[in-house]
Amino acid sequence: MKSEAEFRSELRKWIVNKNGKIKAEDLKDDTAIIEQRIISSLQLMDLILELEKLSEEALDVEQLKPGVFKNIDSICHNFYKGESNA
Amino acid sequence: MSKLEETSKKLSAASCKSYQNPYEYLDWPEQLDREQWFFSEELISIYGSPEYESLSESQKKQLSFFEAVNFFSLNIHGEKPLVEGLARRLYSRELKDYADYLHHFLDEENKHMIYFGGFCNRYAGKIYRDKKLQIPRDYEAGEEDFLFFAKVMIFEEIVDVYNLRMAADERLENTSRKINRIHHLDEARHLVFGRQITEHLYEKYSKEWCSETIERLREYLGNYLVATWKEYYNPDVYKDAGLNSPYELMERAWKSQDRIALRQQVSASLIKYLRERNLIGEEIQL
Repeated sequence: MKSEAEFRSELRKWIVNKNGKIKAEDLKDDTAIIEQRIISSLQLMDLILELEKLSEEALDVEQLKPGVFKNIDSICHNFYKGESNA
Repeated sequence: MSKLEETSKKLSAASCKSYQNPYEYLDWPEQLDREQWFFSEELISIYGSPEYESLSESQKKQLSFFEAVNFFSLNIHGEKPLVEGLARRLYSRELKDYADYLHHFLDEENKHMIYFGGFCNRYAGKIYRDKKLQIPRDYEAGEEDFLFFAKVMIFEEIVDVYNLRMAADERLENTSRKINRIHHLDEARHLVFGRQITEHLYEKYSKEWCSETIERLREYLGNYLVATWKEYYNPDVYKDAGLNSPYELMERAWKSQDRIALRQQVSASLIKYLRERNLIGEEIQL
Protein backbone atom coordinates (compact mmCIF):
# COMPACT_ATOMS: atom_id res chain seq x y z
CA MET A 1 0.00 0.00 0.00
CA LYS A 2 1.30 3.46 -0.96
CA SER A 3 1.71 6.18 1.66
CA GLU A 4 -0.57 9.21 1.29
CA ALA A 5 2.42 11.32 0.23
CA GLU A 6 3.24 8.85 -2.55
CA PHE A 7 -0.41 8.72 -3.59
CA ARG A 8 -0.55 12.54 -3.82
CA SER A 9 2.73 12.76 -5.65
CA GLU A 10 1.74 10.16 -8.28
CA LEU A 11 -1.66 11.77 -8.70
CA ARG A 12 -0.06 15.22 -9.17
CA LYS A 13 2.37 13.81 -11.72
CA TRP A 14 -0.50 12.16 -13.61
CA ILE A 15 -2.56 15.38 -13.73
CA VAL A 16 0.41 17.47 -14.89
CA ASN A 17 1.23 14.91 -17.57
CA LYS A 18 -2.40 14.62 -18.73
CA ASN A 19 -2.85 18.38 -18.96
CA GLY A 20 0.44 18.90 -20.74
CA LYS A 21 0.55 22.66 -20.03
CA ILE A 22 0.40 23.24 -16.28
CA LYS A 23 3.63 23.16 -14.26
CA ALA A 24 3.79 20.87 -11.19
CA GLU A 25 4.52 23.87 -8.90
CA ASP A 26 1.36 25.63 -10.10
CA LEU A 27 -0.85 22.67 -9.24
CA LYS A 28 -1.69 23.07 -5.55
CA ASP A 29 -3.61 20.57 -3.45
CA ASP A 30 -6.65 22.85 -3.55
CA THR A 31 -6.44 23.88 -7.24
CA ALA A 32 -9.88 23.27 -8.81
CA ILE A 33 -8.89 20.84 -11.56
CA ILE A 34 -12.30 20.50 -13.27
CA GLU A 35 -13.47 24.10 -12.84
CA GLN A 36 -10.18 25.43 -14.24
CA ARG A 37 -10.34 22.87 -17.07
CA ILE A 38 -7.03 21.30 -16.08
CA ILE A 39 -8.80 17.95 -16.46
CA SER A 40 -11.76 17.76 -18.86
CA SER A 41 -14.97 15.84 -18.18
CA LEU A 42 -13.88 13.34 -20.84
CA GLN A 43 -10.57 12.74 -19.04
CA LEU A 44 -12.42 11.73 -15.86
CA MET A 45 -12.62 8.18 -17.23
CA ASP A 46 -8.81 8.09 -17.42
CA LEU A 47 -8.59 9.57 -13.92
CA ILE A 48 -10.93 6.86 -12.58
CA LEU A 49 -8.70 4.17 -14.10
CA GLU A 50 -5.58 5.84 -12.68
CA LEU A 51 -7.17 5.97 -9.20
CA GLU A 52 -8.08 2.28 -9.46
CA LYS A 53 -4.47 1.56 -10.32
CA LEU A 54 -3.13 3.68 -7.44
CA SER A 55 -5.60 2.39 -4.86
CA GLU A 56 -5.56 -1.20 -6.21
CA GLU A 57 -9.35 -1.26 -5.97
CA ALA A 58 -12.20 -1.09 -8.51
CA LEU A 59 -14.38 2.00 -8.01
CA ASP A 60 -18.16 1.94 -7.92
CA VAL A 61 -18.54 4.56 -10.64
CA GLU A 62 -22.35 4.70 -10.43
CA GLN A 63 -22.05 6.06 -6.88
CA LEU A 64 -19.48 8.76 -7.72
CA LYS A 65 -20.40 12.43 -7.78
CA PRO A 66 -18.30 14.80 -9.93
CA GLY A 67 -17.57 16.85 -6.75
CA VAL A 68 -15.19 14.17 -5.48
CA PHE A 69 -12.78 15.16 -8.26
CA LYS A 70 -12.74 18.85 -7.32
CA ASN A 71 -9.03 18.99 -6.37
CA ILE A 72 -6.15 16.80 -5.14
CA ASP A 73 -7.31 17.15 -1.52
CA SER A 74 -10.84 15.93 -2.28
CA ILE A 75 -9.54 13.07 -4.43
CA CYS A 76 -7.21 11.90 -1.64
CA HIS A 77 -9.97 12.26 0.92
CA ASN A 78 -12.34 10.12 -1.15
CA PHE A 79 -10.02 7.56 -2.67
CA TYR A 80 -6.92 7.11 -0.53
CA LYS A 81 -7.58 4.07 1.65
CA GLY A 82 -4.28 3.78 3.53
CA GLU A 83 -3.08 5.49 6.70
CA SER A 84 -3.10 9.28 6.60
CA ASN A 85 0.26 11.03 7.10
CA ALA A 86 -1.40 13.79 9.06
CA MET B 1 -39.57 19.67 -48.11
CA SER B 2 -36.00 19.93 -46.77
CA LYS B 3 -33.34 17.32 -47.52
CA LEU B 4 -33.44 16.15 -43.90
CA GLU B 5 -37.26 15.79 -43.91
CA GLU B 6 -37.06 13.80 -47.10
CA THR B 7 -34.34 11.53 -45.67
CA SER B 8 -36.26 11.07 -42.47
CA LYS B 9 -39.39 9.96 -44.41
CA LYS B 10 -37.39 7.46 -46.46
CA LEU B 11 -35.67 6.11 -43.33
CA SER B 12 -39.05 5.75 -41.56
CA ALA B 13 -40.38 3.69 -44.48
CA ALA B 14 -37.23 1.50 -44.41
CA SER B 15 -37.56 1.03 -40.64
CA CYS B 16 -41.22 -0.04 -41.05
CA LYS B 17 -40.16 -2.64 -43.64
CA SER B 18 -37.44 -4.13 -41.48
CA TYR B 19 -39.40 -4.00 -38.21
CA GLN B 20 -38.12 -6.73 -35.86
CA ASN B 21 -39.55 -8.52 -32.85
CA PRO B 22 -36.52 -8.63 -30.52
CA TYR B 23 -37.95 -11.65 -28.71
CA GLU B 24 -38.03 -13.74 -31.91
CA TYR B 25 -34.83 -12.74 -33.69
CA LEU B 26 -32.46 -14.81 -31.52
CA ASP B 27 -32.77 -18.37 -30.19
CA TRP B 28 -30.59 -17.73 -27.11
CA PRO B 29 -28.97 -21.15 -26.57
CA GLU B 30 -28.91 -22.32 -22.95
CA GLN B 31 -25.09 -22.22 -22.93
CA LEU B 32 -22.40 -21.09 -25.31
CA ASP B 33 -19.42 -23.18 -26.31
CA ARG B 34 -16.55 -21.03 -25.00
CA GLU B 35 -14.12 -22.76 -27.36
CA GLN B 36 -15.39 -20.52 -30.15
CA TRP B 37 -14.55 -16.98 -31.25
CA PHE B 38 -16.99 -14.34 -29.99
CA PHE B 39 -15.10 -11.30 -31.26
CA SER B 40 -13.01 -11.05 -34.42
CA GLU B 41 -9.47 -11.92 -33.41
CA GLU B 42 -7.87 -8.96 -35.22
CA LEU B 43 -10.16 -6.52 -33.35
CA ILE B 44 -9.25 -7.82 -29.88
CA SER B 45 -7.80 -4.87 -27.95
CA ILE B 46 -4.45 -6.52 -27.14
CA TYR B 47 -4.11 -8.39 -30.46
CA GLY B 48 -0.52 -8.44 -31.66
CA SER B 49 0.97 -7.76 -28.20
CA PRO B 50 3.52 -10.15 -26.61
CA GLU B 51 0.90 -10.94 -23.93
CA TYR B 52 -1.61 -11.94 -26.62
CA GLU B 53 0.92 -14.05 -28.51
CA SER B 54 1.79 -15.95 -25.33
CA LEU B 55 -1.81 -17.19 -24.92
CA SER B 56 -2.99 -20.60 -26.10
CA GLU B 57 -5.73 -20.79 -28.76
CA SER B 58 -8.25 -21.66 -26.04
CA GLN B 59 -7.19 -18.66 -23.87
CA LYS B 60 -7.47 -16.35 -26.88
CA LYS B 61 -11.03 -17.55 -27.43
CA GLN B 62 -11.83 -17.01 -23.74
CA LEU B 63 -10.50 -13.48 -24.06
CA SER B 64 -12.61 -12.97 -27.21
CA PHE B 65 -15.71 -13.81 -25.13
CA PHE B 66 -14.94 -11.07 -22.60
CA GLU B 67 -14.06 -8.61 -25.37
CA ALA B 68 -17.52 -9.30 -26.87
CA VAL B 69 -19.13 -8.69 -23.45
CA ASN B 70 -17.21 -5.41 -23.23
CA PHE B 71 -18.27 -4.37 -26.75
CA PHE B 72 -21.92 -5.12 -25.98
CA SER B 73 -21.62 -3.37 -22.58
CA LEU B 74 -20.14 -0.20 -24.07
CA ASN B 75 -22.97 -0.22 -26.58
CA ILE B 76 -25.49 -0.33 -23.74
CA HIS B 77 -23.70 2.56 -22.02
CA GLY B 78 -23.75 4.52 -25.27
CA GLU B 79 -27.38 3.75 -26.06
CA LYS B 80 -28.84 4.51 -22.63
CA PRO B 81 -28.16 8.27 -22.86
CA LEU B 82 -29.11 8.09 -26.54
CA VAL B 83 -32.57 6.72 -25.72
CA GLU B 84 -32.91 9.30 -22.94
CA GLY B 85 -31.88 12.13 -25.28
CA LEU B 86 -34.13 10.99 -28.12
CA ALA B 87 -37.13 10.69 -25.79
CA ARG B 88 -36.46 14.22 -24.49
CA ARG B 89 -36.37 15.59 -28.05
CA LEU B 90 -39.49 13.81 -29.38
CA TYR B 91 -41.95 16.46 -30.59
CA SER B 92 -39.63 19.26 -29.48
CA ARG B 93 -40.01 22.42 -31.60
CA GLU B 94 -36.60 21.86 -33.13
CA LEU B 95 -37.18 18.27 -34.22
CA LYS B 96 -40.96 17.95 -34.65
CA ASP B 97 -40.63 17.44 -38.41
CA TYR B 98 -38.62 14.29 -37.81
CA ALA B 99 -40.73 12.87 -34.98
CA ASP B 100 -41.85 9.81 -37.00
CA TYR B 101 -38.28 8.76 -37.57
CA LEU B 102 -37.23 9.57 -33.99
CA HIS B 103 -39.87 7.02 -32.87
CA HIS B 104 -38.12 4.35 -34.99
CA PHE B 105 -34.69 5.46 -33.83
CA LEU B 106 -35.80 5.19 -30.19
CA ASP B 107 -37.51 1.83 -30.77
CA GLU B 108 -34.50 0.35 -32.54
CA GLU B 109 -32.02 1.53 -29.90
CA ASN B 110 -34.17 -0.01 -27.17
CA LYS B 111 -34.19 -3.32 -29.07
CA HIS B 112 -30.42 -3.24 -29.46
CA MET B 113 -30.06 -3.00 -25.70
CA ILE B 114 -32.33 -6.06 -25.37
CA TYR B 115 -29.88 -8.00 -27.56
CA PHE B 116 -26.74 -6.65 -25.88
CA GLY B 117 -28.10 -6.96 -22.33
CA GLY B 118 -29.53 -10.42 -23.13
CA PHE B 119 -26.13 -11.69 -24.19
CA CYS B 120 -24.17 -10.12 -21.31
CA ASN B 121 -26.57 -11.16 -18.55
CA ARG B 122 -27.22 -14.68 -19.85
CA TYR B 123 -23.66 -15.68 -20.61
CA ALA B 124 -21.41 -13.44 -18.49
CA GLY B 125 -23.85 -12.70 -15.65
CA LYS B 126 -23.00 -9.00 -15.83
CA ILE B 127 -22.55 -5.86 -17.84
CA TYR B 128 -19.18 -4.15 -17.52
CA ARG B 129 -19.15 -0.85 -15.63
CA ASP B 130 -19.59 2.47 -17.36
CA LYS B 131 -16.65 4.70 -16.38
CA LYS B 132 -17.91 7.93 -17.94
CA LEU B 133 -19.09 10.82 -15.80
CA GLN B 134 -21.00 13.85 -17.03
CA ILE B 135 -20.41 17.29 -15.59
CA PRO B 136 -23.42 19.55 -16.10
CA ARG B 137 -22.75 22.90 -17.79
CA ASP B 138 -24.55 25.70 -19.63
CA TYR B 139 -24.95 25.70 -23.42
CA GLU B 140 -25.51 28.32 -26.10
CA ALA B 141 -28.67 28.10 -28.25
CA GLY B 142 -28.67 24.86 -30.27
CA GLU B 143 -25.32 23.75 -28.84
CA GLU B 144 -26.69 20.94 -26.67
CA ASP B 145 -28.76 19.42 -29.53
CA PHE B 146 -25.79 19.68 -31.90
CA LEU B 147 -23.43 18.03 -29.40
CA PHE B 148 -25.96 15.30 -28.64
CA PHE B 149 -26.26 14.22 -32.29
CA ALA B 150 -22.55 14.74 -33.06
CA LYS B 151 -21.61 12.45 -30.14
CA VAL B 152 -24.18 9.85 -31.21
CA MET B 153 -22.71 9.94 -34.72
CA ILE B 154 -19.11 9.49 -33.51
CA PHE B 155 -20.05 6.64 -31.19
CA GLU B 156 -22.19 4.82 -33.78
CA GLU B 157 -19.79 5.19 -36.70
CA ILE B 158 -17.00 3.40 -34.82
CA VAL B 159 -19.34 0.69 -33.53
CA ASP B 160 -20.68 0.12 -37.02
CA VAL B 161 -17.27 -0.69 -38.51
CA TYR B 162 -16.85 -3.36 -35.83
CA ASN B 163 -20.40 -4.65 -36.42
CA LEU B 164 -19.87 -4.92 -40.13
CA ARG B 165 -16.58 -6.78 -39.78
CA MET B 166 -17.95 -9.18 -37.19
CA ALA B 167 -21.21 -9.80 -39.05
CA ALA B 168 -19.08 -10.99 -41.97
CA ASP B 169 -16.69 -13.07 -39.84
CA GLU B 170 -17.57 -16.75 -40.33
CA ARG B 171 -15.34 -17.79 -37.41
CA LEU B 172 -17.72 -16.09 -34.94
CA GLU B 173 -20.17 -17.93 -32.69
CA ASN B 174 -23.65 -17.58 -34.16
CA THR B 175 -25.42 -15.52 -31.45
CA SER B 176 -22.62 -12.99 -31.29
CA ARG B 177 -22.48 -12.77 -35.07
CA LYS B 178 -26.26 -12.29 -35.38
CA ILE B 179 -26.27 -9.47 -32.81
CA ASN B 180 -23.57 -7.69 -34.81
CA ARG B 181 -25.56 -8.22 -38.02
CA ILE B 182 -28.90 -6.86 -36.74
CA HIS B 183 -27.17 -3.92 -35.12
CA HIS B 184 -25.44 -3.02 -38.36
CA LEU B 185 -28.68 -3.19 -40.37
CA ASP B 186 -30.43 -0.68 -38.10
CA GLU B 187 -27.35 1.48 -37.63
CA ALA B 188 -26.94 1.96 -41.36
CA ARG B 189 -30.11 4.08 -41.23
CA HIS B 190 -29.12 5.84 -38.00
CA LEU B 191 -25.79 6.84 -39.54
CA VAL B 192 -27.44 8.50 -42.53
CA PHE B 193 -29.74 10.44 -40.20
CA GLY B 194 -26.87 11.18 -37.79
CA ARG B 195 -24.64 12.82 -40.39
CA GLN B 196 -27.47 14.88 -41.88
CA ILE B 197 -28.91 16.16 -38.62
CA THR B 198 -25.46 17.00 -37.23
CA GLU B 199 -24.74 19.05 -40.33
CA HIS B 200 -28.21 20.65 -40.29
CA LEU B 201 -27.91 21.77 -36.65
CA TYR B 202 -24.37 23.07 -37.15
CA GLU B 203 -25.34 25.12 -40.19
CA LYS B 204 -28.38 26.49 -38.41
CA TYR B 205 -26.76 27.53 -35.13
CA SER B 206 -23.01 27.91 -35.54
CA LYS B 207 -23.34 31.39 -37.10
CA GLU B 208 -24.65 32.61 -33.75
CA TRP B 209 -21.89 30.99 -31.68
CA CYS B 210 -18.81 32.96 -30.68
CA SER B 211 -15.37 31.73 -31.78
CA GLU B 212 -14.56 30.45 -28.25
CA THR B 213 -17.66 28.21 -28.35
CA ILE B 214 -16.72 26.80 -31.75
CA GLU B 215 -13.14 26.17 -30.63
CA ARG B 216 -14.41 24.51 -27.43
CA LEU B 217 -16.74 22.27 -29.47
CA ARG B 218 -13.96 21.22 -31.84
CA GLU B 219 -11.70 20.39 -28.93
CA TYR B 220 -14.50 18.54 -27.14
CA LEU B 221 -15.44 16.41 -30.16
CA GLY B 222 -11.81 15.47 -30.76
CA ASN B 223 -11.47 14.43 -27.11
CA TYR B 224 -14.80 12.60 -27.28
CA LEU B 225 -13.54 10.54 -30.22
CA VAL B 226 -10.45 9.54 -28.21
CA ALA B 227 -12.52 8.82 -25.05
CA THR B 228 -14.92 6.66 -27.09
CA TRP B 229 -12.03 4.53 -28.30
CA LYS B 230 -10.59 4.17 -24.78
CA GLU B 231 -13.65 2.19 -23.72
CA TYR B 232 -12.54 -0.60 -26.05
CA TYR B 233 -9.50 -1.14 -23.76
CA ASN B 234 -10.96 -2.38 -20.49
CA PRO B 235 -8.79 -3.71 -17.62
CA ASP B 236 -11.85 -5.54 -16.24
CA VAL B 237 -11.80 -7.69 -19.41
CA TYR B 238 -8.15 -8.57 -18.90
CA LYS B 239 -8.80 -9.43 -15.23
CA ASP B 240 -11.67 -11.76 -16.22
CA ALA B 241 -9.51 -13.41 -18.86
CA GLY B 242 -6.90 -14.12 -16.17
CA LEU B 243 -4.24 -11.75 -17.53
CA ASN B 244 -1.66 -10.15 -15.21
CA SER B 245 -1.26 -6.40 -14.51
CA PRO B 246 -4.48 -5.39 -16.32
CA TYR B 247 -3.98 -1.59 -15.99
CA GLU B 248 -0.44 -1.70 -17.35
CA LEU B 249 -1.61 -4.01 -20.14
CA MET B 250 -4.37 -1.54 -21.04
CA GLU B 251 -1.80 1.30 -21.27
CA ARG B 252 0.59 -0.73 -23.40
CA ALA B 253 -2.19 -1.93 -25.73
CA TRP B 254 -3.48 1.64 -26.14
CA LYS B 255 -0.01 2.87 -27.14
CA SER B 256 0.89 -0.01 -29.45
CA GLN B 257 1.53 1.03 -33.06
CA ASP B 258 -0.62 -1.82 -34.32
CA ARG B 259 -3.70 -0.67 -32.35
CA ILE B 260 -3.12 3.00 -33.22
CA ALA B 261 -3.14 1.96 -36.88
CA LEU B 262 -6.39 0.02 -36.34
CA ARG B 263 -8.07 3.02 -34.67
CA GLN B 264 -6.95 5.31 -37.48
CA GLN B 265 -8.19 2.89 -40.12
CA VAL B 266 -11.59 2.32 -38.44
CA SER B 267 -12.12 6.06 -37.85
CA ALA B 268 -10.79 7.24 -41.23
CA SER B 269 -14.14 7.97 -42.89
CA LEU B 270 -15.53 9.62 -39.74
CA ILE B 271 -12.43 11.81 -39.27
CA LYS B 272 -12.54 12.85 -42.92
CA TYR B 273 -16.21 13.85 -42.50
CA LEU B 274 -15.51 15.82 -39.29
CA ARG B 275 -12.41 17.56 -40.68
CA GLU B 276 -14.09 18.56 -43.94
CA ARG B 277 -16.71 20.36 -41.86
CA ASN B 278 -14.12 21.81 -39.49
CA LEU B 279 -15.72 19.99 -36.55
CA ILE B 280 -12.42 18.67 -35.15
CA GLY B 281 -8.83 19.85 -35.25
CA GLU B 282 -5.82 18.30 -36.94
CA GLU B 283 -4.08 17.36 -33.71
CA ILE B 284 -6.07 14.30 -32.56
CA GLN B 285 -3.89 11.59 -31.04
CA LEU B 286 -5.78 8.37 -31.65
